[in-house]
Parts: sequence; C-alpha cells; structure tokens
Amino acid sequence: MATTASTTGNADRRLYAPYLEATWGIKNHWYPALFSHELAEDGVKGVEIAGVPILLRRAKGRTYALLDRCVHRGVKLSLKPTCFTDDTVSCWYHGFTFDVVNGALVSIVASPDDPLIGKVRLRTFPVEEHKGIIFVFVGDEGYEPVPPLADDLPWLPPCDYDYRAAHPLDDETVMLGIRRVGKANWRLAVENGFDPGHVLIHRDNILILASGRSMALGYRPLNDEAIKAFEDDGPKGLMNMYGTGNYEPVVNNDRLNIKSAARREFNFTGVRTSMFLPGVLMVENFPEKTYAQYEWYVPIDDKTHVYWQVIAGWCPTPEDRKNFEFRFKHYFEPVALRDFNDHDLHAREAMQDFYANGGWQEEALCSMDAVIVSWRKMVARHNRGIQEPPTRRGR
Amino acid sequence: MDASAVMSTVRLCFRDGVERAIEAAQGESVLAAALRAGVPLVHQCESGSCGTCMARLVAGEASLLPGRALSLLAGEIRDGWRLTCSVAAAGDCAFALDYASTVLDGPQPAVLAATVTALDWVAKTVARLEIAIETADFTFESGQYVRIRVPGTDAWRSYSMATTAKELPRMQFLIRRLDGGAMSAWLRDACAPGALVEIEGPLGSFGLTASKGPRLMIAGGTGLAPMLAMLDTLRQRPGPRLPVLLCFGCTGEDDLFYVDELELRRFWMPNLKTRVALMHRPAGVFDGAIGTAVSLIEDADLRAPGLDAFLCGPPPMIEAARGRLIAGGVPETAIHAEHFRPT
Ligand SMILES: Cc1cc2nc3c(=O)[nH]c(=O)nc-3n(C[C@H](O)[C@H](O)[C@H](O)COP(=O)(O)OP(=O)(O)OC[C@H]3O[C@@H](n4cnc5c(N)ncnc54)[C@H](O)[C@@H]3O)c2cc1C
Ligand code: FES
Ligand code: FES
Ligand SMILES: [Fe+2]
Repeated sequence: MATTASTTGNADRRLYAPYLEATWGIKNHWYPALFSHELAEDGVKGVEIAGVPILLRRAKGRTYALLDRCVHRGVKLSLKPTCFTDDTVSCWYHGFTFDVVNGALVSIVASPDDPLIGKVRLRTFPVEEHKGIIFVFVGDEGYEPVPPLADDLPWLPPCDYDYRAAHPLDDETVMLGIRRVGKANWRLAVENGFDPGHVLIHRDNILILASGRSMALGYRPLNDEAIKAFEDDGPKGLMNMYGTGNYEPVVNNDRLNIKSAARREFNFTGVRTSMFLPGVLMVENFPEKTYAQYEWYVPIDDKTHVYWQVIAGWCPTPEDRKNFEFRFKHYFEPVALRDFNDHDLHAREAMQDFYANGGWQEEALCSMDAVIVSWRKMVARHNRGIQEPPTRRGR
Repeated sequence: MDASAVMSTVRLCFRDGVERAIEAAQGESVLAAALRAGVPLVHQCESGSCGTCMARLVAGEASLLPGRALSLLAGEIRDGWRLTCSVAAAGDCAFALDYASTVLDGPQPAVLAATVTALDWVAKTVARLEIAIETADFTFESGQYVRIRVPGTDAWRSYSMATTAKELPRMQFLIRRLDGGAMSAWLRDACAPGALVEIEGPLGSFGLTASKGPRLMIAGGTGLAPMLAMLDTLRQRPGPRLPVLLCFGCTGEDDLFYVDELELRRFWMPNLKTRVALMHRPAGVFDGAIGTAVSLIEDADLRAPGLDAFLCGPPPMIEAARGRLIAGGVPETAIHAEHFRPT
C-alpha cells in the first residue's frame, strides 16, 4: 500500500539524502550539554552527544570540555571523577593526568617520567555558558572558525515586532528548564516539535482547556509564504507563519463530525513555532504571552536523545526572577513541560521502531507535512557536517 | 671525545627489500636514532611495554637500555626479537622489520579483486560502472584513480573514482565509450553485475589541496568523475565552505550526463556554482551554453585571490584550459591537472 509514497517520493528523498545519513546527528554545531547548576565548582560530569563521550569540568569558575575517554585504556574519566589540581583532570584507573585547557598528558600518577608524557592528549571542545546552560561545540577537531553560539540559536525577532517574546539573546531573559531522555532518534523528536499536523495530540490537554483556549485540529499551509526560510548569515531554519493568514487552522472535519472552537476563540495570538539547526525549537508566546518555550533534541546515539525543555521569561529585577521561578516550579514545569509535552515525547518514541526499520523510505507523507520536508532539505543544505557512527570515526 | 668513536651504524631491513643505514649514538635507542634520521619506524609507548616497535636483530649486538621492563617473552628474545625503543646498538648491527618501508606513507597501491555491482548508461556514450572490492583496508583520496584490467586480456585502463572512500567497499566510475576501444567493447558486450574484475590502486596525486581561496574545476566529459568525488569530499570536510565553480563541457547531447547529479550537489552545497556547455547545439531543450568547458570561464572567475584550479579531461582540453588560466593571471602552482591520456 505504501507503494505510491515510495515510488513518487524517491526523487524528493535524494534531495535530502544527507539528512537521511544523519542518524547520529549533525556535527560542528553547538549543543547544550548540562544546565549550569548541574556542574558544581570543582565538579566533573560526563555526557554523551552524538556518540561522543564528553567530560565537563569546572575549576576556578571556568568550564572545560574534554573527550571522556582515557587515551590509556579507553575508560570514561567521568565514571569516578578524580582531580588533584585545578588545571588537570586525572583518570581514576591508572592515573593518566591531562591538562584541562589543551588535553595534553602532563603526568601519570605512578610514572611521572614516562616517555609518553607530552606525546599524547585528549581532544578538547569549545565550551560556552549562556543563561544557565553549558553549550559544547561538538564536531571535528580544529574546525575553524568556530561559529558564534548565536548562529545555532533561534533567530532573534526584531525589537519592534508586536508579539515579541523572551529570547535567549535578550539581556533580561532568564531561562529555566528540565531535560530528560527520549527513546527516539533525534530527527523524530525535531520533526514532531514544529509539526503543524500534530496539534491533534494536544487537543484534549488540560493546559489548553483550563486556559479557555481551544486547539485547532491542525494547520494547513495555504501558500508558499506559510513557511519562512532562514538561509542567510546567522541561524538557519524555518518558521511556521501561524496567525498571518498563510496558514489556515483546520477547525472541522465533516466526515468525522469533529469541530474545534479554535477559530472563534483564537487565543494563540503571537504563537509561532520555528526550528533552527542543529534542531532547536522556538515557540513564541507559549505557554503564556511574552514567554517562549525552547527545546533541543540532542542526539545521544542513534536511538536516543536528550529532550531539553526550557522556558524563557523576561526578569528585569530579582523580584521578577523570584516570581518566574515560582511560576515555573508550580505551573510551567508540571503543566506545560511535563503534562503537555509528555504527549510529544510519547509520540516521538512511538515512531522510533518504524523509522529504525526502513520508515524513512516507507512513510506516506500528506499535505500537512510540507514543513517537515523543508526542514529535511534545510539540514541537507546547511549542516556543517554529518556525524559518522562511532565505529567509522577516527580518533 | 671523537664522535665517530661512539657512533654505530645500524642497518634497517624492511620487508619490501628497502634497506636504510642510520647512525646511532651510544646509549641512544635504535628507535630514537631512526626517527632522528627521518626513517619512520612503527612505535607507540617508547617505554618497552606495547611491543609495536618489535624488530629482529639479524646481525651484531644490541644492549638493553637501563630501567626498562620488557614485554618480550624469553623465547622471543632467544629468537632475536628486540624492542627498538629499548635497545641501543652495541657496535654495528642490523635489524629486520616485519613491515614495508612505506607502511607509514599512507595508502600504497595494491592489486585487488572486485565484483561488478551495477552498470548503466547515463548517456549514449557514458557508462556508470559500480564495483565492490573485497579488501577491507583499501582506501584512497578523492581525485585518485585505479587501473582496471580489461577482463580476459592483459590490457589495463585507468579510471578515476567518482565516489569517495566513504562509500567503500563500493566504487563508481564514469567511463566514456570509444569505438574500437578494448574496455569500451567489454563494457558494451560482456560486463554485467556479478562479473569479476581486477583493479590496481590507488594511484595518482590529483586531488584537493589545502586551498584557502575559491576553487575552480574544469571538466571535459568523463573528466567529471574525480570532480564529483572531490565535491563530495568538500561537502563532508570540516571548516567553512569556500566557493566552488565547476565548468563542465561535453561534445553533444549524446555525451551529456549527470545534469541532475550536479543540480543535487548545488542544492547540498550552497557554495557551489556549475556551468555546462555542449560543443554541438542539441535538438532538445538545453539551458547551458554552446562551447567547451574552457569557454565557460570568465575573466572575473580568475581574479579571486588564492584561487586553485583543477582540470580533468582529454589532454587537448587540459592544454586549452591551462593556457586560458595562465593568460588570466593564474599562477602555474595553482593549476592541478589530470590528463585522461590513452592508456
Ligand atoms: C590517470 C587517468 C585517468 C583516467 N580516468 C578516466 C575516467 O575516469 N573515465 C574515462 O572515461 N577515461 C579515463 N581515462 C582514460 C582511460 O584510461 C582509457 O584511455 C579510455 O577509457 C579508453 O579505453 P578503451 O580500452 O575503451 O580504448 P583503447 O582500447 O585504449 O583505445 C581505442 C582507440 O581510442 C583511442 N583513444 C584511447 N583513449 C582515448 C582518449 N582518451 N581520447 C581519444 N582517443 C582515445 C586509442 O588511441 C585507440 O585508437 C583515464 C586515463 C588516465 C591516464
Ligand atoms: S585507563 Fe585511564 S589511566 Fe589507565
Ligand atoms: S614503542 Fe612500545 S615497546 Fe617500544
Ligand atoms: Fe507538541
């Protein structure tokens, strides 16, 4: 039955062939690794991004990222954090000790004059801490020049835009969030994030109903201005131009006898979804006006990702920040990030089995999916490299 | 002290028959002496543990350096094995290395067996041949070629890979059909999936250089093959994407191929521009130019500082292109060419 889709779709699929190869993610991009509060002073933590084990170390207020794989026998240094000085990190197993800045082997606990000292090193990664999140630039060693973090964050709407919402690059923005593991390939997570057809899964959600709003059944693009593409300097991505008349909310289906009250009570003013490389979602004016929700779907390996959910809010004063933290803890986190987005996480995980077994060739897309195909092409065109599976990657 | 008095001559005998003689100082490890003399020996720990620097003492004496615990077994030592990082020459001596002298120089050509996996005609006169090799450690650089033996004969023909090492064990070639040609006849009459072929490679030094400026590629006919491999490598290579201009010329409609593949690469590489020319005006629709690959070059293309030019195709095209580039001010050293000479 899927013959129509696969026979007509194959020519199109070649256009985004590099995307289909990106099972392990795209490389040479900035990815969030940890929330700042997860890495204490003098702390060491390990994370896995796109199949690359990365060790984060904070010492004297500075943050460092090194490959979390000892050059000696390949163990993860983060399994048992061991540091004897501020400027090094040691392996707990046989004491190979590395400079935190350049990764050089500077000593071995029980072989301080070993000929290997100074000859080998751990690779290091650029790190940047921004608004409570530690970002790591994951990709090829020596990639030059490392683009600014802002190139891998969502596009910054102009100040005079009527429905401007909090953005990570605004001075007054505070970002609060959670992260958890999703058992699906990172691309499935991304593709759900801004899928105009997926709002059906949120139709019966408490966050929507309790606020007196009503979800459309879906959104149908009406013309080629429904999707705005960002391909110039700076972030690369796509924006669904909801609320501009280029997207039509679908409010009823006669055949199924379903109606949505969405058109009558359109309470989603200023809500737009957009997705930027390497897979960061922006939902402006959500869960509430002037706030915005940001999500990353950071590949761990080929079948799991870290689902980052962050709410940004403007907090010019410490008082505002306290209020935001209170609202976050008792409202945004439980109702939006958990209850509401649990349905998204569920949907992504539900796709995994199909896509891990040939689904990319077998899927039967429909008219609602235009933006998803545009996204795939956007990644095919503007990625800074396709991550190789760990077995094919040189050391 | 007279330096010659404490120097010993060490002969290093490699498996490929190459012999190198080096001078080793007293107390200096044979490995250190070899590296100092620019003779690369395989090694890692330099402390007598890992065993990778093992070599067999075949003449003379060598003494163990102090403070080394060796991973060699007593039986191995009896058989003449030594760790070059941990012994010093005691007078003139010789070691046999169990590997070729070129082992650290990168991929060396070898003769390999391969199986044809696909053959299609992408134009009336151009075949796309895909083979799969059976050797796991074979690799090559984009731009290189292999020689393929015309099955059933002693004739070998050279063909540039149109795919990259990433696609191994598969390799694709784009081959022009020549009337009366030996390989051409085999492709036309006998080649089918499953056929066995012998290849030798990788060969050649044509390929990407460490350019800092834009790249200009000029391809005549199947001279497009190495350019495709180089484009795919550029796309996958880390670092900022420098501009690439590809000028591609074919004789006529029947020889034109891969317009769709070029379109795909333009889509994947926003930094790539392509121009196509045919020498003979075609009957059907064609939105390229009438002329040759060389006639597609504009003066402005040659003015970019740091430009590197890559030429591939039949020798007359290369000569025309080279002349055009030099007249346009491109230095000789920035021109890299692969001639598809009759082989
Ligand atoms: C380094 C290198 C890389 C090459 N890569 C490719 C490649 O990727 N694709 C490709 O198609 N070819 C390539 N060639 C050319 C190829 O090796 C053969 O010369 C060509 O395929 C002809 O082989 P044949 O057996 O069909 O013809 P042959 O039996 O060799 O020749 C038949 C007749 O054609 C003439 N002839 C042979 N070659 C040419 C020619 N190039 N132009 C005009 N007349 C010729 C001969 O003089 C003879 O009269 C390359 C050559 C070199 C040196
Ligand atoms: S494995 Fe790390 S010191 Fe041995
Ligand atoms: S280099 Fe390791 S034993 Fe000699
Ligand atoms: Fe959702």
